[in-house]
Amino acid sequence: MNWQLLPQFAISGLLAGGPIALMALGIVLIFKSSYIFNFAQGQLLLMGALLTWWLAVDIGLPLWLSILLAIAISAVLGLLIERFTLRPLTGQPLLTIILMTLGLSQVLQGLALLLFGGTQRNFPQIFSTANPYRITTPFIHDGNPIIVILKQNLVWSFAVAILGVIVIGAFFRLTRTGLAMRGASEDHELAQSIGLRIQRIFGTSWALAAAVAAIGGVLLATSSGLDVSLSIVVLAAFPAVLLGGLESIPGTIAGGLIIGLAQGIVATSKTQIIRNSAEIMPYVVLLVVLLFRPEGLFGQKRIERI
Amino acid sequence: MAILRPAGEFDTSYASDMATIRRPWQWCLLLVFLLALFTLPFYASQGLVALVNRIGITIIAVQGLSLLTGFTGQISLGQAAFMTAGGYVSALLVNELGWPFLLALPAAAIAAGLVGLIFGLPSLRVKGFYLVMATLAAQFIIPWFTRNAFQDVLNGAQGLNVQVPVIFGVEFNTPQRYIFLTLTVLVLTTILAFNVTRSRLGRAFISIRDNDLAAELLGVNLFKYKLQAFFLASMYAGLAGSLAAHQLRHINSETFTLIDSIIFMGMLVIGGLGSNLGPIFGAIVVEFLIEAATLLGPFVAMIFPAKSAGVVQALRPLFFGTSLMLFLIFEPRGLAYRWQLFKAAWRLRPFSH
Amino acid sequence: MRRHLVGTIALLMVASMVLGACGPKAPPDFTGRTITLYHFGDLSGPYAAITAPLVHGAEDAVAAVNAAGGIYGATLEIQFADTAGSIDEAVAAYDRFTGADDNILFMITYGSGEVEALAARFAEDKIVNITAGLSARGFYIDSGYTFGLGPIYPDQFGLVMQYLHDNWDTMKPEDAGDEIKLAYISWPTAFGQGALTSETRAFLEDLDIEVVVEEVYDLSPAADTTTAILNAQAAGANVIWTNTLAFGVSVILNDLNALGLRDQFVVATDNWGMDLATYAYMADPSYGVGLISAFPYLWWTDTENAGVQYAEGLFAANERPAGEHNVGYLLLVAGVDMAVQAITHAIDTVGWDNLNGEAVADALIDLSPFEALDGVLRPDYSGGSRSPHVSQIRMIQGGPDAFNILMDWTETPDLRPVE
Repeated sequence: MNWQLLPQFAISGLLAGGPIALMALGIVLIFKSSYIFNFAQGQLLLMGALLTWWLAVDIGLPLWLSILLAIAISAVLGLLIERFTLRPLTGQPLLTIILMTLGLSQVLQGLALLLFGGTQRNFPQIFSTANPYRITTPFIHDGNPIIVILKQNLVWSFAVAILGVIVIGAFFRLTRTGLAMRGASEDHELAQSIGLRIQRIFGTSWALAAAVAAIGGVLLATSSGLDVSLSIVVLAAFPAVLLGGLESIPGTIAGGLIIGLAQGIVATSKTQIIRNSAEIMPYVVLLVVLLFRPEGLFGQKRIERI
Repeated sequence: MAILRPAGEFDTSYASDMATIRRPWQWCLLLVFLLALFTLPFYASQGLVALVNRIGITIIAVQGLSLLTGFTGQISLGQAAFMTAGGYVSALLVNELGWPFLLALPAAAIAAGLVGLIFGLPSLRVKGFYLVMATLAAQFIIPWFTRNAFQDVLNGAQGLNVQVPVIFGVEFNTPQRYIFLTLTVLVLTTILAFNVTRSRLGRAFISIRDNDLAAELLGVNLFKYKLQAFFLASMYAGLAGSLAAHQLRHINSETFTLIDSIIFMGMLVIGGLGSNLGPIFGAIVVEFLIEAATLLGPFVAMIFPAKSAGVVQALRPLFFGTSLMLFLIFEPRGLAYRWQLFKAAWRLRPFSH
Repeated sequence: MRRHLVGTIALLMVASMVLGACGPKAPPDFTGRTITLYHFGDLSGPYAAITAPLVHGAEDAVAAVNAAGGIYGATLEIQFADTAGSIDEAVAAYDRFTGADDNILFMITYGSGEVEALAARFAEDKIVNITAGLSARGFYIDSGYTFGLGPIYPDQFGLVMQYLHDNWDTMKPEDAGDEIKLAYISWPTAFGQGALTSETRAFLEDLDIEVVVEEVYDLSPAADTTTAILNAQAAGANVIWTNTLAFGVSVILNDLNALGLRDQFVVATDNWGMDLATYAYMADPSYGVGLISAFPYLWWTDTENAGVQYAEGLFAANERPAGEHNVGYLLLVAGVDMAVQAITHAIDTVGWDNLNGEAVADALIDLSPFEALDGVLRPDYSGGSRSPHVSQIRMIQGGPDAFNILMDWTETPDLRPVE
């Protein structure tokens, strides 16, 4: 291992875990209320970013307004998706629902390509790309203290993402709607019997998830440009969801950070193949979780054992 | 199903009750159909032959998935990864060790089956959605392995050039020739699939799918049968992967991707789960949809000239995704079920009820 | 060259009219016949950014050739297949094309992976493949009908490394040592890994250049190269080679600047890396300054060249968007000219009735070395080579487009694979 890189990669790995947590949050929101694992979350994220780009660059609106509008449009899109594609499937087996969100992901991907084309585009900068933060650590290497260099967008994306997760978490704890959603997640029939409108709750969760996805899309696109392949980044978030526990909001933070950290740590290796394993680290972690703690770190031990 | 049999036809033995092909005229129809398929290169265009060849390989992969998902109820998004495994094994055996293709093909199937077993192991502990995730992991880890491990043999990201199959001195280097290989394997895999599903093994699979707890109580060994399902499914994938690699003459870590796995799943659902005709219907319909997107693309590009770039590739996921969603909402039992209804309607005509 | 050609034909026609019956035989007239060029590109996958201008360049150039009278009156047509960068799509398109046309002369390809997969087919079916995907294996392994528009990546890589080795004192980053320590940071694809072959490794060893790390990053503009760069730094690297294009180069430049490490590395790339498409993803255009690449063609700024003027005229006449004013367009206008020259030469040699891929391949070799589009390209397929062995080296020394010549046309090392 290159020990002198460990502080650097551990910290930047943790920070990269922020956006992963935010993406995981979108998936958890939907799963929590309706037991649907949304494989189309990546495409929602892509749509959010493309909408922002379209409003800000093509139409020429101010960036902050474009982002807000894109979040709003995404939320409506989320509502529509729930109403027209998933509600007809209520009560259908797992396979049907998994395939529906997979089909949805294909449709959204095709739409994005049709409407916006395959070319890559420069996304408006939100955070300065120059002047990274430099933190001097107490560790010494070769007689010099190790300095950790952190890109501004990494730091701020992390901050925004974690803030987002905390806000949503607070919403669930502190508001009436949040309470209703938590109630619904416990038991659909019971929730209905005490007068909660379960369908409205499903709709709200999809709208929230789509809005969260739009924020994630903007954060990712601003740090590294935008094209239709952006949707694949969510594949790193699936394991984070499982790791945190499918229904746990704090779990998404833990899952995102652990996966980011794991990716950072293997990157310090001196062996190339171990460094390169950073890209599959999320799925290695996933397999370990599946074998030893399928309910995740904070999930409810509800899944059926065989 | 027995109810829908033509009047006057009675089974006099168990064998005839289980028979897939029951009447002489069915044999005739089947032979005519196979003859028409195998003589395709003599009357169809090369483009069509190549398309049928591709569909044939796809059907084999989906048949494997059908055994695993359609009959055993274990959802897998890793079928394309197991194709990668089969393709690489076959390519290496032929390229490096000089094995004849006819030996490398079954060896690739068995190797892919073993790889499938490894990723099927979590099925012993988790099911449903969690298993999907485990198979998704295969979809990442196997291509990564081919890119990074044993680079001097696997040649990293650049992948391998794969030799053309040579059997008894005949080079299978054109779609017109290759289709004989594909169709022969396809006929064998179809026979195998029909026989697996109506045997003890198939009944065990179905019992696991329908209710695993009940199946276990009845003495079905879940561990054993689930692993067998994984092995069989991956074996089919290995065959398909080997055929595809030798047909493409190249394989790398991105030849078979997650999208392919998703499409295989979609084909299975559109064709019909739990039916041996499902993979055939599904693969044909979806491949033709994709082909339609290729043909329609230029016209759509004319309507939206500003978006002309990439229209074809945009239409494909759009067509596939939309038809999958429509099937899920309106006909989740797939085309195979429609086919049953259609046959029944004809048999009962003019009394449709 | 196109003009020259048209001019020559016109002259010949005038001459034959003047000389009448006693003159040499009149140029053939094939009005009403067509020659189709087939074209594989990626308009919707990862390479879409660079492909759209390539396709448009080819389309515009073909239209211009036809407007100027075609090839002895025969019309050029172009058929396109969008492969989204995937090999099975390319093979499917190949089968479709060869099924519909049994005398294909040319297929134009861009992806290294596609070329590698199709190379054997081109050779078997004797179809000339003009390609912009320049990884060595596609040219020399089970191949023979694949002709590169530029030097293969190993040659480009070798040339730039040789140059850095020879001029290290002036080129080296300020606090770098006397030895070149190379970090190969690239995509994990056939293209990305195309320069690092056993031949180039041996060549680098001879130059005492050590490859200290090999790192890969995702084929995506969202890729993060921070870990790759910091690993390179930890290993003491002072030169980065990235065999990528457009966003592949800009993510490295962006991250180098974001990390404040830009002045510690010389960044060099293959010919595709130095392009306006690279600027589309650069957080700041100034990040491009200092980028070095092999440059086996002229550039839009070489306005004194007649070929560049011709391409510029086509670009303006077809009202192509400014974003496509990049390498792809120029290169394909030149590529079409190269094809036209080869077809013309083949007709002159074997006549229309014997015109086939083999004749065109012979023509390309027979013509070598020659100039396409008045020297925008310098194809040379002599001596069994399937790609030219000359290139310039250029360096960005200012805003976009300031691709200044660091070293004029020079012979590249010959690092083609030996079987």
